[in-house]
Amino acid sequence: MSDLQPRKDLLDIESLSLDEIEYVLENAVPFKQLFQRSVKKVPALRGKTVLNLFYEPSTRTSSSFEVAANRMSADVTNFTVSASSIVKGESLLDTIETLQAMRSDYIVIRHQAAGVPGIVAQHTRASVLNAGDGYHAHPTQALLDAMTFREVYPDYQGRKIVIVGDVLHSRVARSTSTLFHKLGVEVGVLGPGSLVPQGRHPFMTRLRDWDEVFEWGPDAVYLLRVQLERQEGQFFPSIAEYHKMYGMNSERLGRMRERDAYLMHPGPVNRGVEITDQAMGYEKSLISTQVENGIAVRMAVLHWLTPETQKD
Amino acid sequence: MARFFSQTRIARSDSSELQDASVLVNDEGVIERVGPGLDAPEDAEVLDCSGMILVPGMFDLHVHAREPGAEHKETLSTCAEAALHGGVTGMVLMPDTSPPVDTGNLVKSLQDLISESSPVQMLVSGCLTKKREGTELAGFFGMANRDVAMLTDSDRTIPCPDLLRRCMEYAKDFDLLVTSHCDTPALTKGGAINEGHVSYRLGLPGIPAISQEIAIDRDIRVAQQTGARLHLQQISTANAVKAVGCAKEAGTSVTCEVSPHHLLLSEEEIEDYNTHFKLDPPLRLPRDVEALVAGLLDDTIDAIATNHAPHTEFEKSSDFGSAPFGVTGLETAVLALYDGFVRKGVFGWDLLIRKYSDQPRAIVGLPAVRIEEGQRAEFFLFDPEGETEITPDSMKTKSPVTPFLGRTFSGAIRETVLG
Repeated sequence: MSDLQPRKDLLDIESLSLDEIEYVLENAVPFKQLFQRSVKKVPALRGKTVLNLFYEPSTRTSSSFEVAANRMSADVTNFTVSASSIVKGESLLDTIETLQAMRSDYIVIRHQAAGVPGIVAQHTRASVLNAGDGYHAHPTQALLDAMTFREVYPDYQGRKIVIVGDVLHSRVARSTSTLFHKLGVEVGVLGPGSLVPQGRHPFMTRLRDWDEVFEWGPDAVYLLRVQLERQEGQFFPSIAEYHKMYGMNSERLGRMRERDAYLMHPGPVNRGVEITDQAMGYEKSLISTQVENGIAVRMAVLHWLTPETQKD
Repeated sequence: MARFFSQTRIARSDSSELQDASVLVNDEGVIERVGPGLDAPEDAEVLDCSGMILVPGMFDLHVHAREPGAEHKETLSTCAEAALHGGVTGMVLMPDTSPPVDTGNLVKSLQDLISESSPVQMLVSGCLTKKREGTELAGFFGMANRDVAMLTDSDRTIPCPDLLRRCMEYAKDFDLLVTSHCDTPALTKGGAINEGHVSYRLGLPGIPAISQEIAIDRDIRVAQQTGARLHLQQISTANAVKAVGCAKEAGTSVTCEVSPHHLLLSEEEIEDYNTHFKLDPPLRLPRDVEALVAGLLDDTIDAIATNHAPHTEFEKSSDFGSAPFGVTGLETAVLALYDGFVRKGVFGWDLLIRKYSDQPRAIVGLPAVRIEEGQRAEFFLFDPEGETEITPDSMKTKSPVTPFLGRTFSGAIRETVLG
């Protein structure tokens, strides 16, 4: 830690140095070990306050941050902003003013518009943790994905992961692929041309179908959640066709098994869309581990960030 | 009182050389004498202009003055102040006010308002369709009678090609210039910046280049079919330049403009979701910027126009996706273009004057402004040795929003003289 510059906010993966990434991932390990104990709490953030500010519905990420903050002994306030209250005229700057007055030490924010956590971070002394902004970034998801991958592959460098699905609208794909790339893991993408954007990161290898995927030789397959509500966008003809072309079915699972490849998913899973029921029981599924590591990683991030309020 | 601009140099559109001269402007604002070695008359105020350059007043084809309807963003009078501050002495106002300018009476009332509020020449444009709704033709005859400068639905493209065709056919009878912002709404949708690797990285919905290119192709075809005069606003891509070039070669009656922003900035400059870089059309790729500069130099692009589109700092302080499109341009255009091109020798004052003074005026049927004996004084004093820092406090517009905020440009506009 001593070598690292103090950091106030976690907004994206791009701006993180390898040292910072290493620091968070290494610190998450002892936090995870805590979970085996009967008392899972540490007093690290006693007296500190965490504001969980969610402009988009999310049970999983929001609870994960809440549990992480609780286990650090921080006081947590959940603040869910329903879509109806984001009416015209209520400006972002006014909201930030209100937040500032609450004098939280940490603000965990999810917002449907890309860049909002950055604006909040500029205007508040609290540490801002981006819990997902538009299609832009979801840095703690990427960190927990990396932690999970490294647990099963201590020799992770040079290994390969394929991200499958709606890359265009996915902040998870953006952050996770960026982090894997930084760590020296090769990233492939599989999905329909309408959802794999031309302007994507140049390091992403485009794979056309599952045959190409298995030929490429992935060590893990990362299925993105299909946003069923995007169907109106007509990005693919039907859920059935998507499942047929890109879903994880028994046949593909057999080929996974042959390679000893792991299966990952950010959750929540649409059964029967990106993955069949049978495949959910796959012995090399890391989906539950990802959830568990999410808490550890978020504890490590809370522990690492330095709010300006701590200077008082 | 007469004013004597002593030992200055005059920039002209027809010569790459600056002309050494002194200039006497009489008390009626008319240029009485121009020449080297003149003596100052005794009763004149003498200004030592050595080292300075006298430049003909610029003319901006694309300005949103916001009055009437959005006076919190800009008024005719603040717009005029901003223009003079930037060396601009004439402009065309877009009709997207509230109410939109879509009848002869509205043109007349806006003209009256201008004559009360603005010392700067402001020509009025009118809508192509009623209320800019893109469904029915607006009152062309009444507006033509009031000497409307051009017809345009401003940033709304006429969605139906058949209606666009009728507009052009009808406009042709009045010899009215039809102006198009060139955008395909079905492709632009909720886009915020150029579609490409920057939009992907920032997670913002993109506006593809083809959104503008398809609209340009369509509008040119309709102009060719109808024979109407067409002006294309704010072209932004290499293919757009190519399309205009081809149309001109084919003898089509088409002109086009580019903004200083698109000539100087690409999407790579957009940092940290700074909404001061949110323009319509969006900033494109570096190779598009190169093609636009080349198009300006080879005369494919006729004019520079800023699309001065004020929105308050508060309105722009929203997240990038929700913030309105548009920035101001009148005060920064000359400075930015001098600093980015003239100073570096990419082109001279002559080309800048042609593109931002002579040709825009010619497009709307006005004579060029010259610094010559017998002409009304309409020029600015430019100090190439000066420096100008662009700050909100230094700007005259009501909405000091520009991607150049915080930049320091070489050169300074000392005064704009209007006879």
